Amino acid sequence: MRALINLLFFPGGLFLIVLALAYEYADRKVIARFESRIGPRWFQTLADIVKLLVKEEITPATAHPILFGVLPVVALSGALTAALYVPLLGFRPALSFPGDLVVTLYLLSLLTMSIGIAGWNSTSRFTMMGATRALTQLFSYEAPFMLALLGPAVVAESWQISEIVATNRGAWILLTQPFGFVVALIGLMGKLEMPPFDAPKAKTEIVAGALTEYSGRGLGLFHLGKEIELVVGLTLIAALYMGGIANPIEFFGKTLFLLMILCCLHAVLTRLRIDQTVGLWWRYGAVVVLAQWLVLIAWKGIVA
Amino acid sequence: MMSTDVALQQAESLLAGLGKGTAKPEPNRLDVVIEASDLIAATTALRGARWGYLATLTGVDLGKEANQIEALYHLCEGDAIVTLRVRVPRAGGAVPSVYALHPNAMFFERELMEMFGVTVTGLSDTSHFFLPDGWPDGTYPLLKDTDVQAAAKQVKGSEPPEPGRQGDRFIVPVGPQHPALKEPGHFEFAVDGELVTGATVRLGYVHRGIERACEQQNYTQNLYLTERVCGICSHSHANAYVNGVEKLAGVQATPRAQAIRQLVACLERIHSHYLWLGVAAYEAGFETLLMYSWRDREIVMDVLEQMTGNRVNYSASVLGGVKFDVTSAHAQAIRHGMDKIEERTRHYLHVVTSDTSFLSRARGIGVTSKEEADAMGLLGPTLRAAGVTRDVRVDAPYGSYKQFPVKAVVDSAGDLAARFKVRMEEALESVRVIRTILDGLPEGDLTVKMPRKIPAGETISRFEAPRGELFYYIKSNGTDKPERVKIRTPSICNWIFVLKKAVGAQMADVPPLLAGIDPCFSCNDRTIVINRPRHGRQVLTWEELRRQAITHTRR
Repeated sequence: MRALINLLFFPGGLFLIVLALAYEYADRKVIARFESRIGPRWFQTLADIVKLLVKEEITPATAHPILFGVLPVVALSGALTAALYVPLLGFRPALSFPGDLVVTLYLLSLLTMSIGIAGWNSTSRFTMMGATRALTQLFSYEAPFMLALLGPAVVAESWQISEIVATNRGAWILLTQPFGFVVALIGLMGKLEMPPFDAPKAKTEIVAGALTEYSGRGLGLFHLGKEIELVVGLTLIAALYMGGIANPIEFFGKTLFLLMILCCLHAVLTRLRIDQTVGLWWRYGAVVVLAQWLVLIAWKGIVA
Repeated sequence: MMSTDVALQQAESLLAGLGKGTAKPEPNRLDVVIEASDLIAATTALRGARWGYLATLTGVDLGKEANQIEALYHLCEGDAIVTLRVRVPRAGGAVPSVYALHPNAMFFERELMEMFGVTVTGLSDTSHFFLPDGWPDGTYPLLKDTDVQAAAKQVKGSEPPEPGRQGDRFIVPVGPQHPALKEPGHFEFAVDGELVTGATVRLGYVHRGIERACEQQNYTQNLYLTERVCGICSHSHANAYVNGVEKLAGVQATPRAQAIRQLVACLERIHSHYLWLGVAAYEAGFETLLMYSWRDREIVMDVLEQMTGNRVNYSASVLGGVKFDVTSAHAQAIRHGMDKIEERTRHYLHVVTSDTSFLSRARGIGVTSKEEADAMGLLGPTLRAAGVTRDVRVDAPYGSYKQFPVKAVVDSAGDLAARFKVRMEEALESVRVIRTILDGLPEGDLTVKMPRKIPAGETISRFEAPRGELFYYIKSNGTDKPERVKIRTPSICNWIFVLKKAVGAQMADVPPLLAGIDPCFSCNDRTIVINRPRHGRQVLTWEELRRQAITHTRR
C-alpha cells in the first residue's frame, strides 16, 4: 500500500508531475521576462501536456513501430524512477540502498539515450543529425557531470544519497568544491539540452532534432520526462552541494535559485556549435573536475 | 574612384574593335552593340581591366516584326553603366555563358533561358530557376505573344524527387518550409557528419510574374505593383521605379519631395536592419537578441505609421512627388524616435562587437576577401563588410542624396561579425542623415505634374536598398504602359556567396551564413498557381482570390 502511494502520489507520480510543471512554468516565465515578452499563463504548461496527450500520434512508415512507441515511455519511466531516490523538496527519499547515487545518475542518462535511439529509429535526416548530436553531447558532458556529482560522495565516503546527506550534516559543499558545483549545474543544462547546449534540437538547422517525427503522446511523454529530470537534477545538486536536506520551503528556495541561474545563462548565451560544446567539456569541464578530484584525493589520503 | 567620364572612356577603349556601334543615351551610360560571338571577348576585356561588375542581364523581346530578342549585359562602375547589347533571333537564339567571369551570371542566364527561350551555351545547370519544374516546354513567359494564363494551366504536377542519399552523399534539405526560413526557398546541403560538402539553391516558390504584369498595366498602377515586390524594402522598390519613370518623362520632383523620399528610405533602412539583426541572431541561436531588436524596431514602425498611415507599404512616393508632407508634429515624433533608436543601436553595436558568446559564433564565419567579394559581384552590406566601398548612394547619388550626403560604412574583416557591425553602423548613419534632413528640409510643393504617356526611351535606375543595390531597367514605347520593366534585386547577386561559403562550413554555421546576406526570397521571385499534391494543380482567378479574401476575413 505504501509503495503504491509512493509510486502514484508522493513522491512519484502526481506530485512529481505537478512539481515538474511548476518548475517549467517558472523557467518559461522568467525567460520570457528576460526576453521582454509576457510569457505563459499559470496553467499553460499543463495545457500543453494535455493537448499533446490527446493529439493523434503519427508513426513514420520507415520507423520500427514498437520501438517508436516504447521509447518515450522508457524515457519518462527513467526520470520517474530516478525521482524515487532523491530527496524531493527536502523530504526523505522514498527508496534508498547503498549505491543509489550511481543508479540515479544512470537513470538520468536513460532519457538522452532514448532520445538518441528515437532519432535513429525515425530515419529522417533531421532526426539522424539530431540523434548524432545528442549522443555526441552526451559523451562530452557525461563524464565531467558524473565526476562532479560524485565529489560530495567521496567526502562522505558513501555512494548512498541519504547517507551522504546525513554524513555531511548540512555542510555547504559548494564552498569547498566550487568547480564541482559549477560543472554539475552546467552539466545539467547539457543534459536537458537547454540553451546554449541546444544544438541537438536547433530549430534553425535541424527543425526539432531527434524528436522531429514525434507528435502527440510520444512528444508529450518525452517533454514530461525532461521536465521531471530538471526537478531531479536540481534536487540532487541542492542536496549534495547546498546543505543537504532542509525544511521544504528552504529547499524549494534553493532549487528555485539554481533554476534562476540556469535561466540567466539561457537568456544571455548564444547556442554553441557541437564542436564548441565538446571542446568546452573536455578542455575545461573535465579538466577542472579532475583537478578538484586530485585535491580531494590528496586531502583524504594525506591530511585526513 | 574614377570619374564617370573617365570610366566610360576607358570602357570604350577596352571595347574598341569589338563593338558594332556605340551610343550614349544618357551622360552616365554607354551602349555597345556587339555580336554574340564577341561577348566573351568583350566581358573578358572589361573584367581583365577590373572594370565594373555585372549588374544584371536583361532580356527584351523586340516583337514579332523584328523577330529578335535583345540580351542586355549591364556592367556598372561607380556611376558609369556600360550596356553590351546582343541581338539574337527569337527562335533558336544562343549566347555564350559568361559564368566563368561573373559567377552570379549563372542565375541571370538561367532566367534568360526560361523566360525568353534563348539558349545559353556552356552553362552546366540549365534547369528551371524561377518557373515550376513542370512548366510547359517551349512556352516562354516574357515573350510578348505568350499567353501566360493558358501556360499556367498546363503546368504538369511533378513531384520533386525525394532528396535522400545521393550515392554516398547525405543530403540535408532546408526548405521550402523550414524553421530557419521565413520565406520559401529550397536548399540542399550535402553533409559529411557536420561538415557541408556541397550546396544548391532552387527558388521561384513565390514567383509572381511581376515583370510581365508591369507590361500590362499603366505607369501609375505599376507604382503600387513594384512597391509590393518586397514587404520590407517596399519604399526602395517604389522609389527605384519612380526615379526611372521620372527620368524617362523628363520630370524632376521638387527638392522637398525628394528629401521626404530620402527620409522614408532612411527610416526603412533602420527597420530593415533591425529586422535582420533579430533574424540573423536567432539563426545562430541568440533568441534574446531577436526579441529585443524586434521590440525596438517598433519605434521606427510606429513613426512610419504615424507619418504615412501604413507600417509595410507606405505608398510614400507617387509619380512626380510624394503623397504626404512632413509636419512639425511628424518631425518631433521622428526626432524623439531617433533618440531612442540611436541609444539602442549603440547598445546593439556594443553587443555584436564585444559579447564573447555571440562572437564565438560570428567571428571567422564566411570570411570573404575584398578581391573575392568583388569577383563574386556581391552587393550591399555583404560586400561592404568585405572592405569594398560600393554604395549607390555615394557612387551615383540620386534624388536628394547630393544635398544630404551619406557616408559609406565599410569594414575589412569580411566575416559574419563584420556584417553585423556594418549594418548597425549603417543604422547609426541613417539616424544622423534623418536628423540633417529634418534640420534642412527644403520648402516647396509636394508634387509636380506628370504626363500620363511617357515618351519612348529606356533608362536605368539604381537605388541602394537596405540589402544592396536595386537595379531597374525601364523601356517605354510612348504609351501609358511600359514596354519592359526588369527588376534585379540584391539578394539574387548574393546567393552565389552562400553557395560558395557554405561548402567547407559546419552545418550549424549555415543558417547564420545564409541569413548573413539578408536574403529576401519574395524580392527575387516575383502565385497564382497553387500546388496541391493530391488534388492536382489549381489556378485561382482574380475573382476567386477576392472571394476567398472576403470569406476568410468575415467574422
